[in-house]
Amino acid sequence: MLQIKCPFCGKRDQTEFSYGGDGQITYPALNADEDSWHDAVFLRQNIYGRQIETWQHSHGCRSWLLVERDTVTHEIFSVELAHGDWQKQVEKNK
Amino acid sequence: MKSERINNVLHPPEITEDLIHFYWNRKKYFARKGDSIAAGLLANNLNIIGRSFKYHRPRGVMSAGVEEAGALVTIGFGARTEPNIRASTTELIDGLHIYSQNAWPSVKHDFGSILNFLGRFFAAGFYYKMFMGVPPFEWGRGTRIWMFFERFIRKAAGLGKSSRLPDPDYYEHLHTHTDILVIGSGPSGLQAAISAAKTGKDVLIVEQDYIIGGSFLNQQDKKELEEQEKLLKKLGVTILTHTTAFGLYDNTTVGLIEIIPSEGRKDLDKKPRQRFNICRANNVILATGAIERVYAFINNDLPGIMSVNSARAYLNRYGILISKNIVICTNNDSAYETAIELKNAGAKVTILEIREQIGDILLRQISGTGINLLLGSGVAKAEKGFNNSTISRIKIVEMTDKGWRYAGTLFCDCLLISAGWSPVIHLASHQNFPINWNEENACFTSFGDAKSVFLVGSAAGIWQQKQCINSAKELFKYNSKQKYKPSLITGGWEKPIAPLYEIRLASIKGKAFVDPQNDVTTSDIRLAHQEGFISVEHMKRYTTLGMATDQGKMGNIIGIALMADALNCSISQVGVTRFRPPYTSISLGALAGRNRQSHFKLIRRTPFNKFSLNNNAVMINSGLWQRPWYYPVQSETLDSAYIREATITRKSVGICDISSLGKIMIQGPDTTEFVNRIYTNSFNSLPVGKARYGIMLRDDGFVFDDGTTWRLANHCYLMTTTTNNASSVMTKLEELLQVRWSNLNVQITSVTDQWGGCAIAGPNSRNLLSKIVDNPVEISNESLPFMGVKQISIQTVICNIARISFSGELAYEIYIPSDYAHSIMELIWSRAQEFDSCLYGLEALGTMRIEKGHVTSAEIDGRVTIEDIGLGRMASMNKDFVGGVLKNRKALTHSHRPQLVGIFPKHKNKSFKVGALLNEAGRLNGHPIGWVTSVTFSPALGHWIALGFIEGGLNLIKGKNIVLSDELRSTFLDVDIVSPHMFDPEGSRLYG
Ligand SMILES: [Zn+2]
Repeated sequence: MLQIKCPFCGKRDQTEFSYGGDGQITYPALNADEDSWHDAVFLRQNIYGRQIETWQHSHGCRSWLLVERDTVTHEIFSVELAHGDWQKQVEKNK
Repeated sequence: MKSERINNVLHPPEITEDLIHFYWNRKKYFARKGDSIAAGLLANNLNIIGRSFKYHRPRGVMSAGVEEAGALVTIGFGARTEPNIRASTTELIDGLHIYSQNAWPSVKHDFGSILNFLGRFFAAGFYYKMFMGVPPFEWGRGTRIWMFFERFIRKAAGLGKSSRLPDPDYYEHLHTHTDILVIGSGPSGLQAAISAAKTGKDVLIVEQDYIIGGSFLNQQDKKELEEQEKLLKKLGVTILTHTTAFGLYDNTTVGLIEIIPSEGRKDLDKKPRQRFNICRANNVILATGAIERVYAFINNDLPGIMSVNSARAYLNRYGILISKNIVICTNNDSAYETAIELKNAGAKVTILEIREQIGDILLRQISGTGINLLLGSGVAKAEKGFNNSTISRIKIVEMTDKGWRYAGTLFCDCLLISAGWSPVIHLASHQNFPINWNEENACFTSFGDAKSVFLVGSAAGIWQQKQCINSAKELFKYNSKQKYKPSLITGGWEKPIAPLYEIRLASIKGKAFVDPQNDVTTSDIRLAHQEGFISVEHMKRYTTLGMATDQGKMGNIIGIALMADALNCSISQVGVTRFRPPYTSISLGALAGRNRQSHFKLIRRTPFNKFSLNNNAVMINSGLWQRPWYYPVQSETLDSAYIREATITRKSVGICDISSLGKIMIQGPDTTEFVNRIYTNSFNSLPVGKARYGIMLRDDGFVFDDGTTWRLANHCYLMTTTTNNASSVMTKLEELLQVRWSNLNVQITSVTDQWGGCAIAGPNSRNLLSKIVDNPVEISNESLPFMGVKQISIQTVICNIARISFSGELAYEIYIPSDYAHSIMELIWSRAQEFDSCLYGLEALGTMRIEKGHVTSAEIDGRVTIEDIGLGRMASMNKDFVGGVLKNRKALTHSHRPQLVGIFPKHKNKSFKVGALLNEAGRLNGHPIGWVTSVTFSPALGHWIALGFIEGGLNLIKGKNIVLSDELRSTFLDVDIVSPHMFDPEGSRLYG
């Protein structure tokens, strides 16, 4: 079982989290053209190795997280809050 | 084979307190406290314990450990029957009932043993080939022959039978956290735990056996064990016996199963039977030991043949001399100590040494003991006696320049084998840590990941006890800054092992077993190779070698060696199959724990639950929620109840629990902008004190959810969602706010559980409400118009009320603080008695919304666009919203897409069901042009009606004859396709 270190709650079991998706997608503006929306919604890399993915601490503080994880070894390298301002705040309070 | 108890100083004569009894196939026997089942059976000279998996060959005790493949028994009876119990590792409890398995009429005279002579039909791949027909004419090709033979095969193959009765016991889940988890309590494990505890760490040591000690227990001198045990307790190390670490998972999470000894369970109903313990450790030390191997020779599965070390265990741990006429066949140094001990205990011992030379120290040790040593010799075949099924003589071979040569017969009634040792690396294999073939010691070894998982002792391929203990000490010499490097000194014998996996002579025929538990023979392996299964993973699956409960403990290496031989390559080139959890079999009950029956999933009850039950509600599961389905009066059926409830509601007034709708509070300066981006329709213009129905799409442009959102204040909205999507909408909104739109200053909170929701619907709803609210003026048509929202007080409790309608009647939704919900509902219901009124459930709610053509999750199933459900006009052209771009994709705007319609049967007395298809008359075959999503009897219209989708919708279907077909129920009806707004399409009733 994976254990993910939530910046707010600490190290918790994978069962407390739900997987979101590819964390490296930059979603286009709501009025962007169809092609960029198509790419953002449907095109995914199938990464062998390190990838950034989103997870939500759904049975905890409900933060959305950016998790860098190895898809082969399941090793987790970093966990950050997806909300940039919150992450900065957490780092400042360290 | 004749075993006997020895009464020496270490094992004083039986005293009555030590005497226990048990039943073997219903006959009473006696044993000693502390015996394993196998020890108890052996002490009573019960040598044939079971019949084998495929060939029904008689099997006896083959080991004293988890690798046991012969002595598998069933214990207990009735609902507490446990099949396939390893007699070698299970404690014999006073009064235990033990039964033999897979034998009829008895284990000594088993009818199924005839299968032994039909062996060629049961070779590797038998089941696969069966489907391909029997050569030479491919007779019975296909499933027919399988179906013919199946009942015989199912009866004959297999092991014990489990009980069909419900499990009367319960099982617990436990979560354990520790700094260091040590698995195995032999010399290395105990030392590792002690060294770890001395560094101040929190240490847990687990042992699958019912007492700690591991290989210490098999030795005559137990002083060292006693000292280590004392130290362990002094250091406060937690010890769990009866506990198997069955799997190693990510992040050094270890699955433990603790079998609660039945001894301490006089009160059977109050204690769990097993504990599934999920242990999270910072470091895991595998001190799991090694398993002594046998090798393949003809009849190597006869009762009376076991590993050398198990004879030592029975001698020193249980005080049983296994036989007085013993032959030991070995290729390594480890067997000699046992040989001497057996000799001293009074047995005649002959050693057949595969090697042509042994070391001087070893020679000195056995000289003068009276042990007969034959160098360069081995066993090629074991044979049973004339009037019993146990071993009585062996065919021995000697080594020549040209290989093995037959060298005569030797009589014995017990044969002990040591063909080397296999470190237990299963848990390292679970995590795919590197595993290497150690040529010198003829075994696979692993060092874990050398970061958080380490192997010590014989689990790391170290053979001498002293070095094993040192390897455990060494682990803690390194502090966190130094990297641990295992000293790669494995082995430790005076002279190296002579690798041996099989002795085969062309002149001697018979079955030689590789994996006795699955009845896999050497010829199965060769056949698999011959048929092209050259990868070791394929070979494993084709032959079933090392599969299932065995997990390669016994025969894996022999199988791999034979494969390497057939492929003419080295064992390291063939490689090892990956072991899978569980290491030993575990019961499903333990994995389920308490999450069974009503605890299988959560139950969510609304604040009106008690009220509904008090009023005779029949409940229905709706997701996790328990919702009132209908409220039968006396013996009313569902159908008559919902028809009555819908009728009374449309005629006068009905009350419904709608608490399960998702409720999300949205606040903050950017709230209006946020809500406006979520919904397809505009919320910019929604004034405070008003609600609006909204549709939200997914990114891909399909409809996600719908609901009303109430503007309570300038920067405060209450969003309602469908029951189904409450949590996914919440998750989506959080994702948008945190991941994509973190610049919006908006806070959202789920308040679903904080408010009890109650719909009051029908022409009398306002009249009823005015008798309930503290100030009736507040709910007048002027003060609370259609889609109006406000706070009102009921018995001074502040509630939120909105004049919105799902039923199409004049209706209100009141959200009452959950703590007051029950009592206010009772007030409402008591005042409702002044009217023709009813409580209505989910079924009547559904009826009224179908009549009105309102969609729910039956229609919004993730495949429909906003146009498909006829709400295209709600997609604003003047603003951007989620899904707004991709909803306009070409295929999603095609005019032939299935669209929401209403469906009437042409013959008004006909009924039909959900799931039926719609076709054009005369074209019932092929792809349908539509389908039915919701069906109800409409009390308002007086006949059955439905909602569904049909290609092109109402416009394109005009003039065509449509047939509703339900092939499964043989229903074929002519239907009229109508507008989905089947009742009161103008909505005049909304305004009362
Ligand atoms: Zn958290």
